[in-house]
Amino acid sequence: MFLLRHAWELVCREPRRSAAAALGVAIGAGLLVSVVLFGTASGATVTRRALAGLPVDAQAVLAPGADPSSATRLLSSDPAVISTLPFDLVHFHDAATVKAGAATQTSDGVVVGIDDSYVATTDLFKLSQGRRAVGEIEVSRDLATNLGVTPGDSVTFNLPGGKSANLRISGIVDTTGADLLLGPIDAAHRAAGANPPTNVAVTDRATLNRLASLVPAEAASAGVGAPSGTPVVAVPERAVRHEIHVRYDHAQLPGNPADAQKWLDGVRRRLELKAAGTFTVADDASASLEPIAGDLAWGQILFIFLALPGVVLALTLSRFAADAAAEATRQHAALLRARGALQRQVMSVFVAAALITALMGAAIGALVGVAIAYVGFGTELRAAGSASAAVPQILVVIVGTAALATLAAAIPIRQQLSGEVAGERQQLQRGRRPFWQRFYLDLLGVAAGVVVFLLAGGVGVQPVLNAEGNPTVTLALTAFVAPLLLWTGGTLLLLRLVGYATKQSAWLVGVLRVPFRAGGELAGHSIVARAGAASRAIVLLGLAVSFAVSVLIFDATYRQQQHVDAELTLGADLRATPTSKVNASVVSMANGPGVGAVTPFVDRVVYVGSEAQDLLAIDPATLPATAPLADSFFQGNSAQAAMRALASQPNSVLVSAETATDYSLVVGDRINIRVPDAHGTLRQVEFRMAGVALEFPTAPKDAFLVANLSYVVQQTNDDAISYLLVRQTTDQAGAELQRRLGDGWSVNDLSTTNARLANGVTSVDLRMLVAIDAGFAILTASLGVALFLLAGLSERRRELATLRAIGADGGQMRAAVAAEASVVGVVGVVIGAACGCLVGLALLSILAGIFDPPPNLPVIPAASIGMLAATVAIALAVAVVVAARAIDRIAILAALRER
Amino acid sequence: MTPVVECVAATRRFESPGTVPVMAVSGVNLSISPGEFVSIQGPSGSGKTTLLGLLAGIDLADAGAVNILGFDLADLTAAERAGLRRSRIGIVFQSFGLVASLNVIENVALPLTLAGVAADQRRSPAASALEMVGLDDRANGRIDELSGGERQRVAVARALVAEPSLLLADEPAGSLDDDNASVVLDLLADASRRGGAALVLVTHDPHSAARADRRLQMRDGRLTNGH
Repeated sequence: MFLLRHAWELVCREPRRSAAAALGVAIGAGLLVSVVLFGTASGATVTRRALAGLPVDAQAVLAPGADPSSATRLLSSDPAVISTLPFDLVHFHDAATVKAGAATQTSDGVVVGIDDSYVATTDLFKLSQGRRAVGEIEVSRDLATNLGVTPGDSVTFNLPGGKSANLRISGIVDTTGADLLLGPIDAAHRAAGANPPTNVAVTDRATLNRLASLVPAEAASAGVGAPSGTPVVAVPERAVRHEIHVRYDHAQLPGNPADAQKWLDGVRRRLELKAAGTFTVADDASASLEPIAGDLAWGQILFIFLALPGVVLALTLSRFAADAAAEATRQHAALLRARGALQRQVMSVFVAAALITALMGAAIGALVGVAIAYVGFGTELRAAGSASAAVPQILVVIVGTAALATLAAAIPIRQQLSGEVAGERQQLQRGRRPFWQRFYLDLLGVAAGVVVFLLAGGVGVQPVLNAEGNPTVTLALTAFVAPLLLWTGGTLLLLRLVGYATKQSAWLVGVLRVPFRAGGELAGHSIVARAGAASRAIVLLGLAVSFAVSVLIFDATYRQQQHVDAELTLGADLRATPTSKVNASVVSMANGPGVGAVTPFVDRVVYVGSEAQDLLAIDPATLPATAPLADSFFQGNSAQAAMRALASQPNSVLVSAETATDYSLVVGDRINIRVPDAHGTLRQVEFRMAGVALEFPTAPKDAFLVANLSYVVQQTNDDAISYLLVRQTTDQAGAELQRRLGDGWSVNDLSTTNARLANGVTSVDLRMLVAIDAGFAILTASLGVALFLLAGLSERRRELATLRAIGADGGQMRAAVAAEASVVGVVGVVIGAACGCLVGLALLSILAGIFDPPPNLPVIPAASIGMLAATVAIALAVAVVVAARAIDRIAILAALRER
Repeated sequence: MTPVVECVAATRRFESPGTVPVMAVSGVNLSISPGEFVSIQGPSGSGKTTLLGLLAGIDLADAGAVNILGFDLADLTAAERAGLRRSRIGIVFQSFGLVASLNVIENVALPLTLAGVAADQRRSPAASALEMVGLDDRANGRIDELSGGERQRVAVARALVAEPSLLLADEPAGSLDDDNASVVLDLLADASRRGGAALVLVTHDPHSAARADRRLQMRDGRLTNGH
């Protein structure tokens, strides 16, 4: 009780000291809580985005003989279900065709039966070529490649049970996004990561049911494609599946992916209970969320890691606060001793007071963090189930930051109290360097960090495909070791270097004398005399600025690459797609206000041997001004040289790296490609290879070709274009272009384009996190310098009074304070900017895996860094005004009489 | 001859909410001529240091007038009063008032630094002042390496470096042993005599006060035995 009573008295008796100590803890806790809540909110974001792109949430698989109508009614009556679509599927053992006397056969696959409304609703199975015709089939590009067929050919499907069916091909369909629907629906196969079939055909439901009638009721599929090396985990599936595909009301879904999975599981159980065996539900939405939940956990670690330097810096403010209140501490300790308290009791009282202050600061900071979170991303947070879900984490933050802050404050308090008792001993120890300087732990830390960074290859995050084929990220924990060592070692090394530099008085006094005259000289001498405190303030400011600069660089590069990726996916700023056939003359229609450049673009399915590939036919004269082209897109060539090579010969073609490897092609080789003409008839056209393209606007990731549009038009007599790519110069260009082109066109812009890296943790908009980190860094930096100045006033109260007494006027005193702040500010910001660039580069290297395409160079956001420096300068100016006013308020005669 | 100090009914009252106002200096009349050595003696709390603050222009009288070297301090701005202190007034404090971040000669040259004298022009007068107090061999030493007596001699050298017309000393020997106290008082008296500066010594020590040309007593803010 003695302890707590005196500790509480101490907290109340020294309100300024307590407030200063609580401030650092509050900033640390506030930053950490807002980052934790950002992680919670980002859960809602990734859940929403993951499910937004999902065409079907669940597949209700009907039992043999079940009535589809009553199942549909039952499903539609559930409050979670908003739409249902029929879907039927028949497995085939193989597909075969005979062309020019040669028979070709494939392995097993599936034929899908859907209505036209299915394509319109889900955007799946869109036609790439040809048309949709009742009684005929559209085949996937893989099936067309495997059989070497084109629209107009016929395919024979050999079905389970021995019967077969021959159907005419009317078109080629895109099966992108349908893997989950085409793959096995039982949990055992899905858990084993079974691959979906590649041989896919699509037809109308009536034709599908005709095929289904040829398959015996109990027939099984030939087997599902389990990955090689995995054991067989279940019996083959039924050969015929009748399904009802379901879309849920996403507004009812909890934000957190794990909670959303629980909700989905509850809906599935409820539906199956109602169905009483007439159908089972395969939960595609839950399967899609599986990797997201894992990604999010890593993402939250990453967010906290990004914020950790800020928290450490904020906690060091407690140390500064303790320094600023050293005199008050000594006076109060003397009072306690006069009352008979032992040294141990005095220490305990001060540590208990530090703990009380830290807990109060942490609680206030947590409240501020929650407020910031609700202001910054309240919508996402509410969608995630409110901040109450994060209460346990917030409590851990409060206790953790309070404990660390108490430790940080206890060390200087101990020194101050022991200094009171053994001042002489402290005098003797003053010349002794800290142990980390004597043992060169700073240099060792930096060296170890470099070694670990090099050994780990500098990359910590790698994109991978999970068992369901969804892209996800892996994050190596060891990747955090290098930055941790570099950061710690670098901080200590900076302290050593800045400490050494600030002890060199001659140059500092000389430099400061020029702008600040007598005040500058006084400041120069003062900084030299307080080299330890000054170097701590400079390093604190430098690290705070470097922390902010590094996250700004990371964010700017991340957003640039998101933009580049979206541009690559769309092709340019805008894409205008005609609904009927038009030729390149429409370019003149597209030109107008807000349009910087326009280029016609053709994407046709062509055949290299039997393999179907995308042929991108372009105008090399106008494309570079319209679409994003980087040197890194081309192997062994710049973008300009690649376009020049294409333009120099009409029959030039750039091939993808995969095509070049598969067909052992080198520059100059002739390539015969079968290209469809206006009637869909394939014509053999000769091209000459002009180079290798690794990426190209609108191109798929794997195999593609880039050729001259004029040559393709001439060779095929088909001048129809697929779309126009447009570079916009104003934000309204899209709307104006749509108005100019009319209803027969569909104009898409980047806002409607999902970047391909928009998956899992990488889909989170980091701007708010960056704003939080940078804001707290500025606050920490400003308070650090303010505390340094105020601690200087506290230490030198009598000196300052002497200066006033012997004739220093207010202007000179203000100049002295401004000069001290300028040294700390300028050196801190310069060091911070330089270190921030290095840390930013390291962050980009560690997180390189999430960038696709990789950035040529990191983006240095000069405007943001300039604003950061300006904000720090303003904060310093405020700190100078506060300190100067404090000097003005010093009672000179009273201070001169103090001992 | 124009007096260096001319106080007419100078009054300084301190009051804070909830307390009885204190008349620290009450109706003081005082005139000091150039080269005159005046001591003001009195017990603690009698208002000696407050009066010294008024004479230095650190504080302003609530009533009456304080004229220093012909300037009515009430008519001067804070910056003008500070300018007057650094160019015409030398002050010595009981607690030395030295700046720990400066070495000995830099401390001595401080009034010149504040007056804007160029660095290369400060060294000579500062060295002369140090020579005057017998510390020319310690010019580049650190303050914390000096004894109490040496520190006060440095403070005296600083007070003399600008060749002031008025020397104000607030218990200059209060922290020193008898020998050092004597040395410091001798230095101040000699400097006053040689330079023609008026010297005002505030002290509670009768022996120190006895060295003055004129001895004044102060009690409850009032000056007695004055002229």
